[in-house]
Amino acid sequence: MRVHVTVNGRVFERDVEEHKTLLRFLREDLGFTGTKEGCGAGECGACTIFLDGKTVNSCMVLAVEADGSAIETIEGEAKDGRLSVIQEAFDRHHAVQCGFCTGGMVMSVRELLQRTPKPSVDQIKEGIEGNFCRCTGYQQIIEAVLDASGQKELADKGGLKHA
Amino acid sequence: MLQRFQYAAPATRDELLGLLAERKGRARLLAGGTDLLVNIRNGAMKPELVINVKKVQGYSGITWSRSEGLVMRPATTINDVLRDKNVRDLFPLLSECAHDLASYQIRNRATVIGNVVNASPCSDMAPALLCLGAKAVIASKRGEREVPFAEFFKGVKKTVVQDDEILERIVVPAASSGARGLYRKLKRINGHDLGIVGVALMKKDGLLRLGISSSAPTPILVDGLKERDDIETIVAAARGAISPIGDVRCSKEYREYMVEVFVKRLFAEVK
Repeated sequence: MRVHVTVNGRVFERDVEEHKTLLRFLREDLGFTGTKEGCGAGECGACTIFLDGKTVNSCMVLAVEADGSAIETIEGEAKDGRLSVIQEAFDRHHAVQCGFCTGGMVMSVRELLQRTPKPSVDQIKEGIEGNFCRCTGYQQIIEAVLDASGQKELADKGGLKHA
Repeated sequence: MLQRFQYAAPATRDELLGLLAERKGRARLLAGGTDLLVNIRNGAMKPELVINVKKVQGYSGITWSRSEGLVMRPATTINDVLRDKNVRDLFPLLSECAHDLASYQIRNRATVIGNVVNASPCSDMAPALLCLGAKAVIASKRGEREVPFAEFFKGVKKTVVQDDEILERIVVPAASSGARGLYRKLKRINGHDLGIVGVALMKKDGLLRLGISSSAPTPILVDGLKERDDIETIVAAARGAISPIGDVRCSKEYREYMVEVFVKRLFAEVK
């Protein structure tokens, strides 16, 4: 089936098999490999992207369902060679270790901050509940989100100091 | 990689019902996809045709009116429920259950109807719908029929919905608006997880109902109780209604114990 999508502002048109997931389409057909496949079953969130403004697990969406949609991936997070506020905070707080979860994690954090500009620690935990990180133990990620949302003091008080 | 299937995205209800009638049993409906695509991936389902219901005209959104009640449709997502002001104000128990379902990005995609038609014993939406006296409006080329949720579930992953039918609307009656209620779900972790036991307790106009998940082959309703009943009566009714199994997540005895704990807590917490 012929599919048209916009990814990070660029338009793509491709033939795609009906049974191909959006995740595989993005990675294999369009080359957006920043979006990762972890579990393939909606548990880990490594494949989280924006589909028409809402975060989804792209492993549980068919590419054909996305026809006509606007997609945003981690590749669109930095603009004009500059990291986003979220990416800079992740860097400062060592919220990235192996990096496999980071693309999806940043997508979920961006959606969280869009709807809750100054989240509490509990709201952050809920916002990223669908994204597993097996390296950091989450503490650094929570601190990074506090920092990215203008709550640096809370971030620095957040238990372990990393920066 | 998923196995191969054909795909259709009908724009009208007639087209959809036609496809269902034609492919009887060999087609699967795709709404949020958060169960279906996982089931296809692991080989549990092998549909010949996958029918996306989200493009059908009139299949999205939530509406509320005193005459029609609260109506949810095949493309109504869990986050649509959580964002709806009428749900928050009039049917807080629905928000309670929706909030405990999976993770944020799954709630963006997963649908209320999908959560009940899959008829998992651990459905999070079923306890609220059972307590609130909701009904399922089921459609096919043969016509339309209504089934109360108390009669909707027939076994593990089995419902009254036939192969050529679609659960087209969930209607929560206006008479249930203003019902007070809370939902408690036991999970292995605080975040995104399947329920080990889930209990919803509703109080309205002197009546008390329980909706219980993960404690029997289907989500169950415990009806016929009163707000002024003593807690022993309510616990005994709950214990009598459930028939949990022991499995990889916990033992039968632990489920029985936790249902009792939740019923007692909720009885005190729902004012």
